[in-house]
Amino acid sequence: MRIKSSILVLVSVLLLVSLCPRPAGAAPYEGYTYSYWGEAVQSPIAYLPSRAISGLEAGTGAWNAPGDLFVSAEGLLYVLDSGNGRIVVLDKEWNTLRVIEGFRNGEKKDSFNNPEGLFVTDAGRIYVADTENRRLVELDGTGTFVREIGAPKADIIGAGFEYFPRKVIVDKAGRIYVVGRGVYEGLIEFDSDGQFTGFMGTNKVQFDPVDLFWKSVSTKEQREKMVQFIPLEFNNVDVDEDGFIYTTTVDKKTFSPVKRLNPSGIDVLRVSKEIPPIGDLSRDRSAFIDIDVTGNGVYRALDATRGRVFTYNEDGKLLYVIGQLGSQLGTFKNPAAVESYENVLYVLDRDLGRITEFTVTQFGSMVNEANTLYSSGKHDEAAKLWREVLKLDANYEMAYVGIGKSLLRQGEYKQAMTYLKLGNDREYYSKALGKYRREYMRDHFSIYMTGMIAVLLGGYVIVRLVKRPRKEGRVQDAVS
Amino acid sequence: MPFLKDIKYSLHVALHPFDGFWDLKYENKGKLRMALGILIFLTLTMIVKRQYVGYVVNYNHPLALNSINELKYIIFPFLLWCLANWSLTTLMDGEGKFTEIVITTGYALLPLILINIPNILLSNVITLREASFYHLLDALATLWFVWLLFIGTMTVHQYTVLKTITTMLLTLAVVGIIIFLGLLFFNLIQQIVSFVYTVYQELSLRG
Repeated sequence: MRIKSSILVLVSVLLLVSLCPRPAGAAPYEGYTYSYWGEAVQSPIAYLPSRAISGLEAGTGAWNAPGDLFVSAEGLLYVLDSGNGRIVVLDKEWNTLRVIEGFRNGEKKDSFNNPEGLFVTDAGRIYVADTENRRLVELDGTGTFVREIGAPKADIIGAGFEYFPRKVIVDKAGRIYVVGRGVYEGLIEFDSDGQFTGFMGTNKVQFDPVDLFWKSVSTKEQREKMVQFIPLEFNNVDVDEDGFIYTTTVDKKTFSPVKRLNPSGIDVLRVSKEIPPIGDLSRDRSAFIDIDVTGNGVYRALDATRGRVFTYNEDGKLLYVIGQLGSQLGTFKNPAAVESYENVLYVLDRDLGRITEFTVTQFGSMVNEANTLYSSGKHDEAAKLWREVLKLDANYEMAYVGIGKSLLRQGEYKQAMTYLKLGNDREYYSKALGKYRREYMRDHFSIYMTGMIAVLLGGYVIVRLVKRPRKEGRVQDAVS
Repeated sequence: MPFLKDIKYSLHVALHPFDGFWDLKYENKGKLRMALGILIFLTLTMIVKRQYVGYVVNYNHPLALNSINELKYIIFPFLLWCLANWSLTTLMDGEGKFTEIVITTGYALLPLILINIPNILLSNVITLREASFYHLLDALATLWFVWLLFIGTMTVHQYTVLKTITTMLLTLAVVGIIIFLGLLFFNLIQQIVSFVYTVYQELSLRG
């Protein structure tokens, strides 16, 4: 009887628990960051999905494998509907403003053939990487044809060069940079007149010591059949307000899938020593397929392996992770592009032909704001926000470092040491320790000096006292 | 006080290894309990070191610390070394007995304690820039230990310099062989046990 009733109680409790609704606002993915030790640590979610739009809902008919997305400075969304060869422009409320199906190129009507990349300048000029037509097309804001730029022509380009532009960006000076399919020499650079000027920013050649060994012992015939060591091609590109170019590379071996190229093509990305910006730290590594620079050095990289958006600050520290593969709102099937506008983030899904909008949560906006203040050197204002962040996430190491640095500047060395230790920043901990040590010694110098002299004197006296009788004893021994 | 005398003698060995190890072998001044005492004290020092060495040079994950590991990484290799050295030197005309080898190796460990304890204290007040002093002292301790072990081995077995070096290197190889045999042994035992258990299960299910 007793067993029966207890089972009944158990079952009813279980039923109640299972009937309880999930907490409101539960996200379809988990928020996390990586600790200093490389362990994934749960963290509040920084961005939550708010709405999604597909071609049907936009009134343009379903989008067929859309390949790229661009948000202009005014917040207009440009969707590159690759399969249908058209551009759809939406405003902030997601009303369709324009659909650019084709254009007049001189006398004849022209259209895109499976374009993959899209870029809109501040002046509203639309650049399209018209992949299968092997050209770039420049349109003005209304969709009127301006010019087209064909394959680069120069002596350094071999006869077998196949030109399929995939992504395009234009910097402030009007220079055009193109990511070509299978072009491992780097970005193809055109000047503002559309003249080819050169390649820029190559990836380094990657090879395995094991491969190198096999190559060195194999015959010439065998070697010819082996894979060549060639640098990997870039797969996406973005430009920040200072004209630095961010590139991504899909390679599951490299530790630098993200590069920040300066005007001469040298990678100047700041990388955190412990964990470089490579996405997830698992065996099956992340594959970045798009990058979005938001300002203050913050950039977001879209991972195709697990459908996640990783946001890093200018020091290469992971701020937060959102999204994953799945079929709910806020998860993706085959994410293709990420863009952000103010506090909103957009992810384009190629297979579903859909854009998902994410809006920032309280946690996310606090982190963003604190990081902005932090990176502009306003440590004290940032520290206030970091303290708020810690109330929501006591595992957020960057917040401890931020507070520690602020305390260090205020001269609170002892406290700074505590925070910097929690944030695992050895460099600044050591700075605080040095300052604290000096301060401590200044205050306590007299005590320690007195103590030391006392100990020395005491030791001397004891040695004298102990040694004398022993010497006598030894003498006695010798005599007897 | 014999205990104090032992400590004094072990310090003497560390500072005057030729003289000290000679007395250890031919005057029977080395004590087994002292050697084992040094070994246990070293283990304790290492445990303390892992946990309390200054944050600037402490790269241990606090959650990954385990004192059993220190036993595994100090006492086990110590015994392996002694065993391997003894097995090898009996074949290579070494004059040392097993206890002598244990005592010598134990006494040779003393510098690690002598340097580590002040080093732990020091590491708590140094900054990152001064961390090289910590590493220097650490390296010195190891070198001193190797030096003592070398002299000890040479004296105990009455070897020449060259033969001592080869013996020590060979000892390392023998350690590897012992580990390999040990793993093989346990693996086979495991397989036998599981075989017997399977047969038993088969019979009991049929019967």
